[in-house]
Amino acid sequence: MRNEKRRSKNPNPACDEEVSLINLEEGDQGTLSHAFGGFGLVRRLAEMGLTPGVEVKLVRKCLFRGPVQVEVRGVALALGYGVAARVFVKPLKANQNG
Amino acid sequence: MARQLRIALAGNPNVGKSVIFNQLTGLNQTVGNWPGKTVEKAEGTLYFEDYNIRVVDLPGIYSLSAFSMEEIVSRDYIAIEKPDIIINVVDASALERNLFFTLQLLELEAPIVIALNQVDLAAKKGLEISAEKLAEMLKVPVTPTVAISGTGINELLLEVVAVTHGAEKLKPLKIRYGKEIQSTIENLEKIVKDKIPQLCDVYPSKWIAIKLLERDIDVAQKIKNFKSGEEVLENAENLAGELEKIHGEPSAVVMASERYSLARKIAETVTVFGTSPRISWEQKLSEVTTNKVLGYPILAAVFASMFILIFVGGNTVSAGLEQTLSILIARAQSVLILILPGIAVDLVVKGFFFGLVAGITIALPYIVPFYILLGLLEDSGYLPRAAFLMDNVMHKIGLHGKAFIPLILGYGCSVPACIGCRIMETERERFLSAFVVVLIPCAARTVIILGLVGRFVGLSAALALYAFDLALVFLLGRIAFKVLPGEPVGLIMEMPPYKIPSIRNIIMKTWSRTKDFVYIAFPIIVAGSLVIEALALSGFMGYVVDASTPIINGWLGLPAVTSIPLIFGILRKELALILLEDVFLQQGLNLQSLTAIQMIVFSLVAMIYIPCLATIAACKREFGWKKALAITFIDIGLALLLGGMAYRILQLVMTT
Repeated sequence: MRNEKRRSKNPNPACDEEVSLINLEEGDQGTLSHAFGGFGLVRRLAEMGLTPGVEVKLVRKCLFRGPVQVEVRGVALALGYGVAARVFVKPLKANQNG
Repeated sequence: MARQLRIALAGNPNVGKSVIFNQLTGLNQTVGNWPGKTVEKAEGTLYFEDYNIRVVDLPGIYSLSAFSMEEIVSRDYIAIEKPDIIINVVDASALERNLFFTLQLLELEAPIVIALNQVDLAAKKGLEISAEKLAEMLKVPVTPTVAISGTGINELLLEVVAVTHGAEKLKPLKIRYGKEIQSTIENLEKIVKDKIPQLCDVYPSKWIAIKLLERDIDVAQKIKNFKSGEEVLENAENLAGELEKIHGEPSAVVMASERYSLARKIAETVTVFGTSPRISWEQKLSEVTTNKVLGYPILAAVFASMFILIFVGGNTVSAGLEQTLSILIARAQSVLILILPGIAVDLVVKGFFFGLVAGITIALPYIVPFYILLGLLEDSGYLPRAAFLMDNVMHKIGLHGKAFIPLILGYGCSVPACIGCRIMETERERFLSAFVVVLIPCAARTVIILGLVGRFVGLSAALALYAFDLALVFLLGRIAFKVLPGEPVGLIMEMPPYKIPSIRNIIMKTWSRTKDFVYIAFPIIVAGSLVIEALALSGFMGYVVDASTPIINGWLGLPAVTSIPLIFGILRKELALILLEDVFLQQGLNLQSLTAIQMIVFSLVAMIYIPCLATIAACKREFGWKKALAITFIDIGLALLLGGMAYRILQLVMTT
């Protein structure tokens, strides 16, 4: 588990396209590419609206590897650090709105 | 004769479902458990237009998969009990996510009418939803409501009645999935219909097929009981595998994506953008209260003021109540003595009445205000924010942010705190939370700590005890987290917008929670008082004191008679302090005859040694006898171990 966390913290620069949610800055947006983890977790995320292809906005990051708050399908969701680290998005570069 | 009608309320959490339930049933409701499950079941009745309507409030859930007990209970109720109508409460301000659930109700072929709730909130977000268009697309009746003010409730009931009359026919939308998914479902449905027709009498065959494709463990379990079940499962497994190969995602995710894309399509069609959204006070408040720096002092201030309010207020009321009740009991005693022999009077008065007083003086002054303030925090939407801020800390003991909520409850009373552990997702998480929650000093234990150590040794010593307790909770939580098998679950939680809570809803909630507390705690407290009083009267206590002397005196360094208050403390912890005083007075001593070290050791033991009887009963109800007793004995062992160690260490520290 620890290994996975470390890996997701330093994403392979070669596939720079996809980053973990925790690597986004507050206010950044992206489209979800995939979530990895146990069947239960991935399904739960999908049921809460985090399905592949959906737009996600990172609203807030807590200090010290704390949870993040995202906005998806018009709803605010809190995700623990470990969960957020398993959710990968393609950042949206265009129309930055701060 | 009034006609009977059974309706159920179903929907996501935080959509105002329970507010609608309260609007419908008023005080005619009971809250209990689903048979054999630790899932809350709220039921109520109402009369409307010659109908005698029974309403069941299903738990708030996001999906009808087998993710949690709540989801299984809900879908089984809908499929098996087949209520006449299901009112699907839908949050207009988060339509897409809510429709995801609605689509699953339609898959279950449930007869639904929709309450499009919180249309006011949606308007604030700049969203205007056309109820007519939504009704047209889903082909089910839709009534806009604002539950808090009661708007639309009457229309909703009229709609329910119209549908049951047959004045309106329900021909709900048949959901069609993408091409290859649809044909896979149809293939599997044929097999299901063919091989296990019995199960198709209970659940819709198409729904069984969909759930099998999603690898639903609960449905698979049910199918295994049939003769050709294995064959069906094998087929389902193959088909699910094919789907996954095409899409590169687990089949359950593929299905969820399908539902969401349909939900989005519907939501987009029925949404008319109204005024542009403005930054509202709710958003600003949310911004500040979850701020990564400012959030924490606010959190501390909110809970500190909550507890100060409860304790200052509670103490005053409790003292007053105790005085009034003791006068009443003295009167009763003087009457009883005329008709009953002395021993029987003692048993009735000390056993029964004192037990009752114990219940009343703790339940009313501390528990009721606690529930009111908790209801405010809950309904306003602050609790999820507190959970968000505390997620990091709770992870250190293998739990996540949501566990902060029962932990806070624990400072009020361990009984609701144990029940509050239900919000955790898995059995493991629930038990782990309950294990640490009973170690949190509840109101009664705070009375001992402040009344003994705080009063005679000093406030700093009392605070040190609290700090020690917190450290202990963390240490034990960490150990339990390592020892208990299973993976920790991460936080996935909705943060609903701030709302102005409905006073009516909070009063109703407080009422039903207090009732629940009284039902669990009172019989236990009274029965326990009777037993212990009977033991005391039979002279058994002398043996107990003798037998426990080596532990109480030899190991803990306390006067031997303190075993009596410690045993009584099992009933209600602050009783231990009152009794300690009594026992000393009988010997011509007072509390100050104890040394500072003894006071600290006594308080420490009282704080940890056992969750009171009512808590044990609550634990038993939630986790069964085995785990309830495990918690009890671990706590007793721990209290004795730490008490003895504290006695020795403090002697070294405080004498040098």
